[in-house]
Amino acid sequence: MATVNPILDNTYDDAGERSPLILGGLDYAGVTDEVCGIWEADKPPKIWFVVLGAAISLLMVLGGCVGHLLMDGVGVWGNNNPAYWGWPIVNFVFWVGIGHAGTLISAILFLFRQNWRTSINRAAEAMTIFAVVCAGLFPGVHIGRVWVFYWLFPIPTEHLAMWPNFRSPLLWDVFAVSTYATVSILFWYMGMVPDIATFRDRCTSKIGKFVYGLLSLGWTGSARAWHRYEIAYTILAALATPLVLSVHTIVSFDFAVSQVPGWHTTIFPPYFVAGAIFSGFAMVVTLLVPVRKLYGLENLITVRHLENMNKIIMATGMMVGTAYGIEFFIAWYSGVPYESYAFYNRAFGNYWWAYWIMVSCNVLIPQVFWIKWCRTTPWFMVIICVFVNIGMWFERFVITITSLCRDFVPSSWAYFHPTWIDILMLIGSFGLFFTLFTLFCRYLPVIAMAEVKGVMPRPKDH
Amino acid sequence: MAEENKNSNTDENSKLIGLVAQFDDPESLVQACDQARQAGYTKTDAFSPFPVHGIDPALGIKRTILPFIVLGIAVGAVFIGLGMQWYTNGGSLGEFSTDESPVFPGYRFKISGKPYFSLPANIPVTFEVIVLSSAFATFFGMWFLNKLPMLSNPLHRISRFKRATNDKFFLMIEQADEQFDRGSTEAQLNEWGAVSIDECRRDLTDNNLPSWLRLFALMGAILLLLPPVAIFRAMGMTSRAPRLHVVPDMDWQDKSKTQTVSPIMMNDRYLFADERVMRAPVDGSVARGQLDADTELYQGIKSDYVPTVSLTTPQGSVRTGLGTQDEAETAPPAEDVSMYVTEFPKEITVDEALVKRGQVRFNIYCAACHGYAANGDGLVNQRAVALAATGKAQWTSAKSLHDATVSNAEKNPLGRIFETISNGRGTMGPYGAQIPTADRWAIVAYVKALQETGIKPVVAVSDDESGEGSEANDTGEPATTQEDKTQPTP
Repeated sequence: MATVNPILDNTYDDAGERSPLILGGLDYAGVTDEVCGIWEADKPPKIWFVVLGAAISLLMVLGGCVGHLLMDGVGVWGNNNPAYWGWPIVNFVFWVGIGHAGTLISAILFLFRQNWRTSINRAAEAMTIFAVVCAGLFPGVHIGRVWVFYWLFPIPTEHLAMWPNFRSPLLWDVFAVSTYATVSILFWYMGMVPDIATFRDRCTSKIGKFVYGLLSLGWTGSARAWHRYEIAYTILAALATPLVLSVHTIVSFDFAVSQVPGWHTTIFPPYFVAGAIFSGFAMVVTLLVPVRKLYGLENLITVRHLENMNKIIMATGMMVGTAYGIEFFIAWYSGVPYESYAFYNRAFGNYWWAYWIMVSCNVLIPQVFWIKWCRTTPWFMVIICVFVNIGMWFERFVITITSLCRDFVPSSWAYFHPTWIDILMLIGSFGLFFTLFTLFCRYLPVIAMAEVKGVMPRPKDH
Repeated sequence: MAEENKNSNTDENSKLIGLVAQFDDPESLVQACDQARQAGYTKTDAFSPFPVHGIDPALGIKRTILPFIVLGIAVGAVFIGLGMQWYTNGGSLGEFSTDESPVFPGYRFKISGKPYFSLPANIPVTFEVIVLSSAFATFFGMWFLNKLPMLSNPLHRISRFKRATNDKFFLMIEQADEQFDRGSTEAQLNEWGAVSIDECRRDLTDNNLPSWLRLFALMGAILLLLPPVAIFRAMGMTSRAPRLHVVPDMDWQDKSKTQTVSPIMMNDRYLFADERVMRAPVDGSVARGQLDADTELYQGIKSDYVPTVSLTTPQGSVRTGLGTQDEAETAPPAEDVSMYVTEFPKEITVDEALVKRGQVRFNIYCAACHGYAANGDGLVNQRAVALAATGKAQWTSAKSLHDATVSNAEKNPLGRIFETISNGRGTMGPYGAQIPTADRWAIVAYVKALQETGIKPVVAVSDDESGEGSEANDTGEPATTQEDKTQPTP
């Protein structure tokens, strides 16, 4: 473009000045109106009801599946000799991984002083929490006797008269995912309090005023309060950063601490974390492109924000691709026949189709983001990001199933078949996720208005 | 210029808390705050929709201690995390190990020899505990230090103040400040660029709870009391009804115990045609260790014996041993006495110890009918004979073991005595299940010893003669005769 209109397009890079993060010439009141105005209008967007209806139907599918599972036991899944870990753990790692992007945006980009995060961090954190809810569902219901779930925690009980085994990665998972869920909720809620105060002060309905008033804790915007708030925010961001790295590391330990060929490798922690961020950002893009369009938030969630996210997707995608390559290299270089076979089998064995879906979706397809048009066109990037998520699901599938179906003793080798419950629970978990996210979009501030205003250029003196 | 908004309320109904001045942009707010600090005001606060850079030094806000609170909690969490794992997984200090602790003992998982406490394995949970504790400290510490939630705040009564969370900026100077003076403070605020000034007043009239709350609370309290009342009532009563079993917890299982009747399955069928729940062992199955292939030792039958005659009894099996009452005296016609061994099996050493053992066992199992001297004068036999005489029982009298039919070595070789003990004869039931093989041979040896003594009763079988047998000191073949009257053994 010869001349760039900064009101409309901020994806240019001028060495002399920073690209604006807010378009449309908005001031502070404008930002507030853009975000709060969605539901204050006479006619709220009807599409919201459609999406909510679809999501709730899928949620009911999930509810039916979980009920059937609780009544009939884990035999309703396809997990069986030798693939005792099947779709449920794949779904668990998939959802936990998606959640990590939100924390990265909130915490890590904050520490890196990336101001562009302020438009997207609220929705991303919400996505994190809902993804962790979906993730936690699977280990929660897979334990068989779900009513004694509290045995997972170090609580003294007469009935069990045992403590958990603290040397097991499966127990580390319990602590890691619980901590991650809790800290994410604390961080998300803390960030929302000033914006909920904005809702409280603009709301006209009695119930709204009561609920938002309660949730905003009486926040006034006092500078003394802001001082402690900002410090607390920084501390939580500094805590959440190693937390997000550690949580997916511990999830990877479920596999890496075992002895199974193809799992027992030290590359898993960084590989899983990079993959988590990769899939999480893809999900953020998939969510935010429709939200910004349907809610009219293009001036706040600009194309530059989307482009930045796509660049991160590319970077982490290439890390994942490198990890694939390194795994193969080490499998050959090590000279260990079991390791070599494990990886040869992945690419050319009976699950070759899953492997090549994974490689094409994760490594090849995101390469289109080198092209500027591809990474700045919203509808196109959604397609790419959906493929990325598909590819990341298949990555966990390939890791789990191929290694289990070709483990130590050839007489145990078999081909894994999922059941209908496996498939429907995956689909239903999307229902849970989208139900929660849709409700979030309705009742809670979608954009962190206070943070956006904080990084906006100050109005010139009149 | 600046507006004034005086409440028309008098001082009885409301109390002035301070003056709130509005500004339209962050710069003017920061400058005004700076001026206020320089003018000596300390009880001030600024309000903005986002944290304004430069306000802290302008107002003189000191750094909070929150980070140190978090640090303290985090350090404590290290010990809690490590300590919890050390204790619960059976840590030990010298001799003491927590799995011997009387209250909440630790539990040692023995997993391929891995140490019960090892830092690399216990770090992940410790790390998460640290992060969780620090996050709680940060979150709750911050709200606590901010004195939030404070749901009732007189600032919210100022309608202009609603813009504080939107796009306007406010500076409040509290009336409690020493320098505060209603008139001059207002003038100063105007001087510093305030767009408008409001009074912040606390309403003193509205201190009562809403009227409906009292009734609500009362009803709520009553409702909350119902469950404990119900529980305590149930604890003091008995009931014939079975317990409420809320969680089935695998307590009723679709399984069958071994060798029971089969449940009726679909289509009114049993699991197996013979209505059993499991199949019987295949004919000829032998349990491990029970093959008992050595016929000489286990049956008293010569190992090289080949049957030349049909060995069936009228009942159809050699080994039933249960003849009809009136046939007990005669051996079944097809029995071939030559099949029995005439000497003790080589595993049995016939010595004094064996005979003594046989005596003990004989007295336990055999003397009840056959008498202690094997004269057939055992108490059971006496009683049964008496009853049979009156027609109240059917009984074949127990033989005296000195009787010729029993003591004759050709007609009743050792193996046949053994077989009699094992399988019974006539009314005598089989004792093979009660008496182990070696003990049965011991009894055989004792019987032969008794036969050698040939003790016969002196008085009629009635009274207190509980069979004073004397013990023969047999150390060799039953053919030798020794008379060695020792103490009678009752």
